[in-house]
Amino acid sequence: MEQKVLVVDQQKCTGCRLCELVCSVHHTGSSNPSRSRIKVVKWEDVGVYLPMTCNHCEKAYCVEVCPTKACHREPENNNRVVIDKNLCIGCRTCIVACPFGHPFFDVQERVTVKCDFCDGDPKCVAFCDMKAVAYVDADMIQVPKKREAATKFIESLKQLR
Amino acid sequence: MRTEPIQPTRHARVLRPQEEWKEIIAIYLYLAGMGAGSYIIGAIINWFINPSRLIPIWGFPLDMAKVALLWGPILVAIGAPFLILDLGIKKRFLYACLNPKTSWVARGFLILSIFIVFGVVLLAKSVLPFEWLRAEAPFWYVAEVITIIFAFATAFYTGILLKATKSIPLWNTYLLPLLFLISALSTGSMAIILSTLGTSLLSLDSAALKILMGGEQILVVIEGIVLFLYLSRRYKASEQGKDSVRLLLFGEKKLLFWGGVVLLGFIFPVVLENISSLTHGNAVLIFAAGLILLCGGFFLRLGVLSAGIREQIPMQRLMEIKYELRTTKIKEN
Repeated sequence: MEQKVLVVDQQKCTGCRLCELVCSVHHTGSSNPSRSRIKVVKWEDVGVYLPMTCNHCEKAYCVEVCPTKACHREPENNNRVVIDKNLCIGCRTCIVACPFGHPFFDVQERVTVKCDFCDGDPKCVAFCDMKAVAYVDADMIQVPKKREAATKFIESLKQLR
Repeated sequence: MRTEPIQPTRHARVLRPQEEWKEIIAIYLYLAGMGAGSYIIGAIINWFINPSRLIPIWGFPLDMAKVALLWGPILVAIGAPFLILDLGIKKRFLYACLNPKTSWVARGFLILSIFIVFGVVLLAKSVLPFEWLRAEAPFWYVAEVITIIFAFATAFYTGILLKATKSIPLWNTYLLPLLFLISALSTGSMAIILSTLGTSLLSLDSAALKILMGGEQILVVIEGIVLFLYLSRRYKASEQGKDSVRLLLFGEKKLLFWGGVVLLGFIFPVVLENISSLTHGNAVLIFAAGLILLCGGFFLRLGVLSAGIREQIPMQRLMEIKYELRTTKIKEN
Protein backbone atom coordinates (compact mmCIF):
# COMPACT_ATOMS: atom_id res chain seq x y z
CA MET A 1 0.00 0.00 0.00
CA GLU A 2 1.20 3.50 -0.79
CA GLN A 3 2.20 5.50 2.24
CA LYS A 4 0.29 8.75 2.54
CA VAL A 5 1.42 11.87 4.38
CA LEU A 6 0.07 15.27 5.34
CA VAL A 7 1.58 18.05 3.25
CA VAL A 8 1.28 21.71 4.15
CA ASP A 9 1.39 24.55 1.63
CA GLN A 10 2.27 27.51 3.79
CA GLN A 11 1.56 30.04 1.03
CA LYS A 12 -2.11 29.04 0.92
CA CYS A 13 -2.68 29.17 4.69
CA THR A 14 -4.63 32.20 5.92
CA GLY A 15 -4.20 31.40 9.61
CA CYS A 16 -7.94 30.86 10.24
CA ARG A 17 -7.17 27.92 12.57
CA LEU A 18 -10.25 25.99 11.44
CA CYS A 19 -8.01 22.90 11.24
CA GLU A 20 -7.27 23.22 14.96
CA LEU A 21 -10.97 23.44 15.79
CA VAL A 22 -12.09 20.45 13.69
CA CYS A 23 -9.16 18.40 14.96
CA SER A 24 -10.07 19.06 18.57
CA VAL A 25 -13.80 18.39 17.92
CA HIS A 26 -12.98 15.11 16.15
CA HIS A 27 -10.57 13.82 18.78
CA THR A 28 -11.91 15.22 22.03
CA GLY A 29 -15.50 16.31 21.32
CA SER A 30 -14.71 19.84 22.50
CA SER A 31 -14.06 22.85 20.28
CA ASN A 32 -10.87 23.72 22.08
CA PRO A 33 -7.88 24.50 19.85
CA SER A 34 -5.47 23.98 22.74
CA ARG A 35 -6.36 20.26 22.63
CA SER A 36 -5.83 20.01 18.88
CA ARG A 37 -3.19 17.79 17.22
CA ILE A 38 -2.33 20.45 14.62
CA LYS A 39 -0.99 23.88 15.53
CA VAL A 40 -0.73 26.96 13.33
CA VAL A 41 2.50 28.82 14.02
CA LYS A 42 1.99 32.51 13.30
CA TRP A 43 4.14 35.50 12.46
CA GLU A 44 1.30 38.02 12.67
CA ASP A 45 3.44 41.08 11.94
CA VAL A 46 4.38 39.82 8.49
CA GLY A 47 1.29 37.69 7.84
CA VAL A 48 2.98 34.31 7.66
CA TYR A 49 1.14 31.25 8.93
CA LEU A 50 2.53 27.73 9.10
CA PRO A 51 0.32 24.79 10.14
CA MET A 52 2.52 22.31 11.99
CA THR A 53 1.63 18.68 12.49
CA CYS A 54 3.38 15.40 13.15
CA ASN A 55 5.81 14.30 10.44
CA HIS A 56 5.63 10.61 11.43
CA CYS A 57 9.44 10.60 11.06
CA GLU A 58 11.19 7.47 9.79
CA LYS A 59 13.56 7.64 12.77
CA ALA A 60 11.06 8.87 15.33
CA TYR A 61 12.65 10.13 18.56
CA CYS A 62 9.30 9.97 20.35
CA VAL A 63 9.12 6.20 19.71
CA GLU A 64 12.72 5.81 20.85
CA VAL A 65 12.38 7.64 24.16
CA CYS A 66 8.91 6.42 25.20
CA PRO A 67 9.44 4.31 28.34
CA THR A 68 6.17 2.40 28.01
CA LYS A 69 5.99 1.66 24.25
CA ALA A 70 2.79 3.72 24.23
CA CYS A 71 4.28 5.75 21.38
CA HIS A 72 4.71 3.21 18.62
CA ARG A 73 4.73 2.77 14.86
CA GLU A 74 1.97 0.96 13.01
CA PRO A 75 3.55 -0.38 9.79
CA GLU A 76 0.30 -2.03 8.78
CA ASN A 77 -1.61 1.24 9.12
CA ASN A 78 0.07 3.73 6.77
CA ASN A 79 3.31 3.42 8.78
CA ARG A 80 1.99 6.07 11.14
CA VAL A 81 3.33 6.85 14.62
CA VAL A 82 0.60 6.83 17.25
CA ILE A 83 0.30 7.02 21.04
CA ASP A 84 -1.73 4.38 22.87
CA LYS A 85 -3.72 6.33 25.46
CA ASN A 86 -4.11 3.27 27.67
CA LEU A 87 -0.34 2.83 27.99
CA CYS A 88 0.76 6.47 28.16
CA ILE A 89 1.81 7.59 31.64
CA GLY A 90 2.11 11.29 30.75
CA CYS A 91 5.86 11.57 31.38
CA ARG A 92 6.20 14.07 28.46
CA THR A 93 9.60 12.65 27.46
CA CYS A 94 8.36 12.45 23.85
CA ILE A 95 7.46 16.16 23.90
CA VAL A 96 10.96 17.07 25.08
CA ALA A 97 12.54 14.72 22.52
CA CYS A 98 10.59 15.77 19.40
CA PRO A 99 12.60 18.27 17.33
CA PHE A 100 9.34 19.55 15.82
CA GLY A 101 7.69 20.15 19.19
CA HIS A 102 4.77 18.05 18.13
CA PRO A 103 3.24 15.67 20.67
CA PHE A 104 1.05 17.73 22.96
CA PHE A 105 0.12 17.16 26.58
CA ASP A 106 -3.65 16.98 27.01
CA VAL A 107 -4.27 18.60 30.39
CA GLN A 108 -7.71 17.03 30.71
CA GLU A 109 -6.85 13.44 29.85
CA ARG A 110 -3.37 13.78 31.49
CA VAL A 111 -1.70 11.93 28.60
CA THR A 112 0.30 12.95 25.55
CA VAL A 113 -1.58 13.08 22.26
CA LYS A 114 -0.47 13.36 18.65
CA CYS A 115 -1.72 13.31 15.07
CA ASP A 116 -2.96 9.89 13.91
CA PHE A 117 -4.18 10.94 10.40
CA CYS A 118 -7.75 10.56 11.82
CA ASP A 119 -7.55 6.85 10.86
CA GLY A 120 -7.04 7.64 7.17
CA ASP A 121 -9.47 10.57 6.77
CA PRO A 122 -7.75 13.69 8.18
CA LYS A 123 -10.36 16.23 9.23
CA CYS A 124 -7.95 19.16 8.82
CA VAL A 125 -7.68 18.28 5.12
CA ALA A 126 -11.44 17.85 4.69
CA PHE A 127 -12.29 21.19 6.31
CA CYS A 128 -9.45 23.44 5.09
CA ASP A 129 -11.12 25.95 2.76
CA MET A 130 -7.86 27.07 1.22
CA LYS A 131 -6.60 23.51 0.67
CA ALA A 132 -3.42 24.44 2.50
CA VAL A 133 -3.24 20.95 4.03
CA ALA A 134 -3.31 17.94 1.73
CA TYR A 135 -3.21 14.19 2.35
CA VAL A 136 -1.20 12.75 -0.54
CA ASP A 137 0.99 9.80 -1.45
CA ALA A 138 4.46 10.19 -0.05
CA ASP A 139 5.94 9.79 -3.54
CA MET A 140 3.85 12.65 -4.87
CA ILE A 141 4.77 15.42 -2.47
CA GLN A 142 7.47 16.84 -4.75
CA VAL A 143 5.23 16.99 -7.83
CA PRO A 144 3.87 20.56 -7.30
CA LYS A 145 7.40 21.84 -6.66
CA LYS A 146 8.69 20.08 -9.78
CA ARG A 147 5.82 21.52 -11.79
CA GLU A 148 6.59 25.00 -10.48
CA ALA A 149 10.28 24.63 -11.34
CA ALA A 150 9.44 23.34 -14.81
CA THR A 151 7.08 26.26 -15.43
CA LYS A 152 9.79 28.72 -14.40
CA PHE A 153 12.27 26.96 -16.67
CA ILE A 154 9.89 27.15 -19.65
CA GLU A 155 9.27 30.85 -18.99
CA SER A 156 12.97 31.61 -18.85
CA LEU A 157 13.49 29.67 -22.08
CA LYS A 158 10.75 31.72 -23.71
CA GLN A 159 12.45 34.93 -22.60
CA LEU A 160 15.72 33.74 -24.12
CA ARG A 161 14.03 33.21 -27.47
CA MET B 1 13.55 52.29 0.08
CA ARG B 2 13.26 49.86 2.95
CA THR B 3 10.83 50.95 5.66
CA GLU B 4 11.53 50.55 9.35
CA PRO B 5 9.25 48.16 11.26
CA ILE B 6 6.69 49.85 13.52
CA GLN B 7 7.57 47.70 16.51
CA PRO B 8 11.21 46.72 16.28
CA THR B 9 11.02 44.51 19.39
CA ARG B 10 8.72 42.13 17.53
CA HIS B 11 11.60 41.20 15.31
CA ALA B 12 13.75 40.39 18.29
CA ARG B 13 14.15 36.72 19.05
CA VAL B 14 12.80 35.76 22.45
CA LEU B 15 14.72 32.89 24.05
CA ARG B 16 12.14 30.26 24.95
CA PRO B 17 13.48 27.28 26.89
CA GLN B 18 11.59 24.00 27.27
CA GLU B 19 8.91 23.99 29.95
CA GLU B 20 8.08 20.31 30.18
CA TRP B 21 10.66 19.35 32.78
CA LYS B 22 10.83 21.75 35.68
CA GLU B 23 11.57 21.85 39.42
CA ILE B 24 10.16 18.40 40.21
CA ILE B 25 12.51 16.72 37.74
CA ALA B 26 15.37 18.88 39.08
CA ILE B 27 14.64 17.63 42.62
CA TYR B 28 14.56 14.06 41.32
CA LEU B 29 17.88 14.41 39.47
CA TYR B 30 19.44 16.14 42.47
CA LEU B 31 18.37 13.61 45.10
CA ALA B 32 19.27 10.66 42.85
CA GLY B 33 22.70 12.17 42.15
CA MET B 34 23.40 13.16 45.74
CA GLY B 35 22.24 9.79 47.09
CA ALA B 36 24.39 7.87 44.64
CA GLY B 37 27.40 10.13 45.28
CA SER B 38 27.10 9.89 49.05
CA TYR B 39 26.83 6.09 48.81
CA ILE B 40 30.01 5.92 46.71
CA ILE B 41 31.98 8.11 49.17
CA GLY B 42 30.43 6.41 52.20
CA ALA B 43 31.16 2.92 50.92
CA ILE B 44 34.80 3.84 50.23
CA ILE B 45 35.20 5.21 53.78
CA ASN B 46 33.45 2.10 55.12
CA TRP B 47 35.89 -0.17 53.27
CA PHE B 48 39.04 1.62 54.38
CA ILE B 49 38.18 2.81 57.89
CA ASN B 50 35.20 0.59 58.79
CA PRO B 51 34.01 2.73 61.72
CA SER B 52 31.48 1.39 64.16
CA ARG B 53 29.44 3.11 66.86
CA LEU B 54 26.69 1.12 68.52
CA ILE B 55 23.91 3.26 69.93
CA PRO B 56 20.91 1.55 71.54
CA ILE B 57 17.60 2.65 70.08
CA TRP B 58 14.46 1.04 71.54
CA GLY B 59 16.62 -1.61 73.15
CA PHE B 60 18.45 -2.55 69.93
CA PRO B 61 22.12 -1.58 69.61
CA LEU B 62 22.12 -0.04 66.12
CA ASP B 63 25.35 0.86 64.33
CA MET B 64 24.83 4.58 63.69
CA ALA B 65 28.23 4.97 62.02
CA LYS B 66 27.02 2.81 59.13
CA VAL B 67 23.78 4.78 58.93
CA ALA B 68 25.76 7.99 58.53
CA LEU B 69 27.90 6.47 55.77
CA LEU B 70 25.46 4.31 53.80
CA TRP B 71 22.22 6.30 53.80
CA GLY B 72 22.53 7.20 50.09
CA PRO B 73 19.92 4.70 48.83
CA ILE B 74 17.38 6.26 51.21
CA LEU B 75 17.95 9.64 49.52
CA VAL B 76 17.48 8.05 46.10
CA ALA B 77 14.33 6.35 47.38
CA ILE B 78 13.04 9.75 48.52
CA GLY B 79 13.91 11.25 45.11
CA ALA B 80 12.29 8.56 42.95
CA PRO B 81 8.68 9.44 43.94
CA PHE B 82 9.30 12.94 42.56
CA LEU B 83 9.51 11.40 39.08
CA ILE B 84 6.18 9.69 39.73
CA LEU B 85 4.79 13.01 40.98
CA ASP B 86 5.62 14.57 37.61
CA LEU B 87 3.69 11.94 35.62
CA GLY B 88 0.32 12.72 34.04
CA ILE B 89 -1.26 9.50 35.33
CA LYS B 90 0.64 8.62 38.50
CA LYS B 91 -0.93 5.23 39.16
CA ARG B 92 0.57 3.91 35.92
CA PHE B 93 4.15 4.52 37.08
CA LEU B 94 5.02 0.81 36.93
CA TYR B 95 4.56 0.91 33.13
CA ALA B 96 7.70 3.09 33.01
CA CYS B 97 10.00 0.06 32.74
CA LEU B 98 8.38 -1.53 29.66
CA ASN B 99 10.84 -0.27 27.04
CA PRO B 100 14.41 -0.54 28.39
CA LYS B 101 15.64 -1.38 24.89
CA THR B 102 15.66 2.23 23.70
CA SER B 103 14.28 4.46 26.44
CA TRP B 104 16.54 5.97 29.08
CA VAL B 105 13.59 6.70 31.36
CA ALA B 106 12.86 2.95 31.46
CA ARG B 107 16.55 2.09 31.95
CA GLY B 108 16.75 4.65 34.74
CA PHE B 109 13.72 3.13 36.41
CA LEU B 110 15.52 -0.23 36.48
CA ILE B 111 18.93 1.22 37.50
CA LEU B 112 17.41 3.19 40.39
CA SER B 113 15.27 0.26 41.52
CA ILE B 114 18.24 -2.11 41.63
CA PHE B 115 20.40 0.49 43.43
CA ILE B 116 17.70 1.23 46.01
CA VAL B 117 16.98 -2.47 46.69
CA PHE B 118 20.64 -3.53 47.00
CA GLY B 119 21.58 -0.36 48.89
CA VAL B 120 18.79 -0.69 51.44
CA VAL B 121 19.58 -4.40 51.96
CA LEU B 122 23.27 -3.58 52.56
CA LEU B 123 22.33 -0.71 54.88
CA ALA B 124 20.07 -3.04 56.87
CA LYS B 125 22.80 -5.67 56.98
CA SER B 126 25.36 -3.18 58.30
CA VAL B 127 23.09 -1.47 60.82
CA LEU B 128 20.95 -4.22 62.34
CA PRO B 129 22.45 -5.97 65.35
CA PHE B 130 21.71 -9.55 64.28
CA GLU B 131 24.79 -11.76 64.28
CA TRP B 132 23.62 -13.99 61.44
CA LEU B 133 23.48 -10.90 59.21
CA ARG B 134 27.06 -10.00 60.05
CA ALA B 135 28.46 -13.27 58.69
CA GLU B 136 31.02 -12.49 55.98
CA ALA B 137 29.78 -14.41 52.98
CA PRO B 138 30.91 -13.95 49.33
CA PHE B 139 27.33 -12.88 48.58
CA TRP B 140 27.79 -9.65 50.53
CA TYR B 141 31.00 -8.75 48.66
CA VAL B 142 29.21 -9.31 45.35
CA ALA B 143 26.27 -7.22 46.59
CA GLU B 144 28.63 -4.39 47.60
CA VAL B 145 30.32 -4.39 44.19
CA ILE B 146 26.95 -4.44 42.41
CA THR B 147 25.69 -1.56 44.56
CA ILE B 148 28.79 0.54 43.86
CA ILE B 149 28.43 -0.10 40.13
CA PHE B 150 24.77 0.87 40.20
CA ALA B 151 25.57 3.92 42.35
CA PHE B 152 27.91 5.12 39.56
CA ALA B 153 25.24 4.21 37.01
CA THR B 154 22.65 6.24 38.91
CA ALA B 155 24.91 9.30 39.11
CA PHE B 156 25.70 9.01 35.38
CA TYR B 157 22.10 8.29 34.47
CA THR B 158 20.89 11.64 35.79
CA GLY B 159 22.97 13.29 33.05
CA ILE B 160 22.35 10.68 30.39
CA LEU B 161 18.58 11.12 30.77
CA LEU B 162 19.04 14.68 29.57
CA LYS B 163 21.75 13.79 27.05
CA ALA B 164 19.33 11.36 25.37
CA THR B 165 17.26 14.39 24.31
CA LYS B 166 19.00 15.06 21.04
CA SER B 167 16.90 18.05 20.04
CA ILE B 168 18.19 20.24 22.88
CA PRO B 169 21.83 21.17 22.12
CA LEU B 170 22.58 22.33 25.68
CA TRP B 171 22.02 18.78 26.96
CA ASN B 172 23.35 16.77 24.03
CA THR B 173 26.93 16.26 25.21
CA TYR B 174 28.86 13.70 27.26
CA LEU B 175 30.19 16.52 29.42
CA LEU B 176 26.74 16.78 31.04
CA PRO B 177 26.74 13.25 32.58
CA LEU B 178 30.35 13.92 33.65
CA LEU B 179 29.35 17.23 35.24
CA PHE B 180 26.43 15.60 37.04
CA LEU B 181 28.65 12.71 38.21
CA ILE B 182 31.23 15.09 39.70
CA SER B 183 28.47 17.23 41.21
CA ALA B 184 26.94 14.03 42.64
CA LEU B 185 30.28 13.12 44.23
CA SER B 186 30.87 16.62 45.66
CA THR B 187 27.32 16.99 47.06
CA GLY B 188 27.43 13.35 48.20
CA SER B 189 30.71 13.82 50.07
CA MET B 190 29.29 16.96 51.66
CA ALA B 191 26.18 15.00 52.71
CA ILE B 192 28.50 12.41 54.30
CA ILE B 193 30.46 15.16 56.10
CA LEU B 194 27.21 16.66 57.43
CA SER B 195 25.83 13.32 58.56
CA THR B 196 29.05 12.24 60.26
CA LEU B 197 29.19 15.62 62.03
CA GLY B 198 25.56 15.14 63.05
CA THR B 199 26.27 11.76 64.60
CA SER B 200 29.62 13.04 65.95
CA LEU B 201 31.28 10.07 64.30
CA LEU B 202 34.31 12.08 63.25
CA SER B 203 35.77 14.64 65.59
CA LEU B 204 36.19 18.11 64.14
CA ASP B 205 39.99 17.99 63.90
CA SER B 206 40.35 14.33 62.97
CA ALA B 207 42.52 13.37 60.02
CA ALA B 208 39.67 11.53 58.31
CA LEU B 209 37.47 14.62 58.26
CA LYS B 210 40.34 16.75 56.95
CA ILE B 211 40.98 14.28 54.11
CA LEU B 212 37.24 14.18 53.33
CA MET B 213 36.96 17.95 53.26
CA GLY B 214 40.12 18.30 51.19
CA GLY B 215 38.76 15.76 48.70
CA GLU B 216 35.45 17.57 48.66
CA GLN B 217 37.15 20.88 47.85
CA ILE B 218 39.13 19.25 45.04
CA LEU B 219 35.86 17.86 43.67
CA VAL B 220 34.30 21.33 43.77
CA VAL B 221 37.26 22.75 41.83
CA ILE B 222 37.07 19.94 39.23
CA GLU B 223 33.31 20.54 38.99
CA GLY B 224 33.94 24.21 38.30
CA ILE B 225 36.41 23.37 35.53
CA VAL B 226 33.99 20.86 33.96
CA LEU B 227 31.15 23.40 34.20
CA PHE B 228 33.30 25.98 32.40
CA LEU B 229 34.28 23.44 29.71
CA TYR B 230 30.66 22.32 29.36
CA LEU B 231 29.28 25.83 28.92
CA SER B 232 32.05 26.96 26.57
CA ARG B 233 31.65 23.85 24.38
CA ARG B 234 27.88 24.28 24.27
CA TYR B 235 28.29 27.95 23.40
CA LYS B 236 30.19 26.93 20.29
CA ALA B 237 28.06 23.86 19.49
CA SER B 238 25.10 25.40 17.71
CA GLU B 239 22.97 28.49 17.59
CA GLN B 240 20.49 27.17 20.15
CA GLY B 241 23.34 25.95 22.37
CA LYS B 242 24.69 29.49 22.28
CA ASP B 243 21.22 30.85 23.09
CA SER B 244 20.92 28.48 26.06
CA VAL B 245 24.27 29.56 27.50
CA ARG B 246 23.41 33.22 26.96
CA LEU B 247 20.04 32.70 28.65
CA LEU B 248 21.79 31.11 31.60
CA LEU B 249 24.68 33.56 31.90
CA PHE B 250 23.20 36.90 30.88
CA GLY B 251 19.48 36.36 30.28
CA GLU B 252 16.45 35.56 32.39
CA LYS B 253 18.25 32.85 34.37
CA LYS B 254 21.31 34.88 35.31
CA LEU B 255 20.26 35.17 38.97
CA LEU B 256 19.82 31.40 39.16
CA PHE B 257 23.23 30.81 37.58
CA TRP B 258 25.42 33.47 39.20
CA GLY B 259 23.60 33.44 42.55
CA GLY B 260 22.50 29.82 42.84
CA VAL B 261 25.19 27.89 41.00
CA VAL B 262 28.35 30.01 41.16
CA LEU B 263 27.95 31.74 44.55
CA LEU B 264 26.13 29.03 46.49
CA GLY B 265 27.64 26.04 44.73
CA PHE B 266 31.26 27.09 44.36
CA ILE B 267 32.42 30.30 46.01
CA PHE B 268 30.64 30.35 49.41
CA PRO B 269 31.38 26.72 50.39
CA VAL B 270 35.06 26.93 49.51
CA VAL B 271 35.46 30.26 51.34
CA LEU B 272 33.55 29.05 54.42
CA GLU B 273 35.45 25.76 54.55
CA ASN B 274 38.77 27.58 54.37
CA ILE B 275 37.68 29.96 57.16
CA SER B 276 36.57 26.98 59.26
CA SER B 277 39.92 25.23 58.73
CA LEU B 278 41.65 28.42 59.92
CA THR B 279 39.51 28.38 63.07
CA HIS B 280 40.38 24.70 63.73
CA GLY B 281 37.16 23.25 62.41
CA ASN B 282 34.27 25.43 63.42
CA ALA B 283 31.26 23.08 63.19
CA VAL B 284 28.77 25.89 62.48
CA LEU B 285 30.82 27.10 59.52
CA ILE B 286 31.15 23.58 58.13
CA PHE B 287 27.41 23.07 58.50
CA ALA B 288 26.70 26.37 56.77
CA ALA B 289 29.15 25.55 53.96
CA GLY B 290 27.58 22.10 53.56
CA LEU B 291 24.01 23.33 53.39
CA ILE B 292 24.96 26.08 50.92
CA LEU B 293 26.84 23.59 48.72
CA LEU B 294 23.85 21.23 48.72
CA CYS B 295 21.60 24.13 47.61
CA GLY B 296 24.13 24.92 44.86
CA GLY B 297 23.95 21.33 43.60
CA PHE B 298 20.19 21.64 43.26
CA PHE B 299 20.40 24.98 41.45
CA LEU B 300 22.94 23.48 39.01
CA ARG B 301 20.38 20.87 37.92
CA LEU B 302 17.58 23.42 37.86
CA GLY B 303 19.67 25.83 35.79
CA VAL B 304 20.66 23.20 33.21
CA LEU B 305 17.04 21.99 32.98
CA SER B 306 15.43 25.40 32.71
CA ALA B 307 17.85 26.77 30.09
CA GLY B 308 17.36 23.96 27.56
CA ILE B 309 16.33 25.60 24.29
CA ARG B 310 15.09 23.30 21.57
CA GLU B 311 16.84 23.21 18.20
CA GLN B 312 14.93 25.30 15.71
CA ILE B 313 12.41 23.54 13.50
CA PRO B 314 13.73 23.49 9.90
CA MET B 315 10.48 24.90 8.55
CA GLN B 316 10.58 27.83 10.96
CA ARG B 317 14.17 28.52 9.98
CA LEU B 318 13.16 28.49 6.33
CA MET B 319 10.35 30.94 7.05
CA GLU B 320 12.70 33.27 8.90
CA ILE B 321 15.23 33.25 6.08
CA LYS B 322 12.57 33.61 3.39
CA TYR B 323 10.77 36.54 4.98
CA GLU B 324 13.78 38.08 6.76
CA LEU B 325 12.09 37.68 10.11
CA ARG B 326 15.38 37.48 11.93
CA THR B 327 17.44 40.53 12.71
CA THR B 328 20.85 40.59 14.27
CA LYS B 329 19.44 42.12 17.44
CA ILE B 330 18.65 39.52 20.08
CA LYS B 331 16.40 40.30 22.99
CA GLU B 332 17.77 38.80 26.15
CA ASN B 333 15.12 39.88 28.62
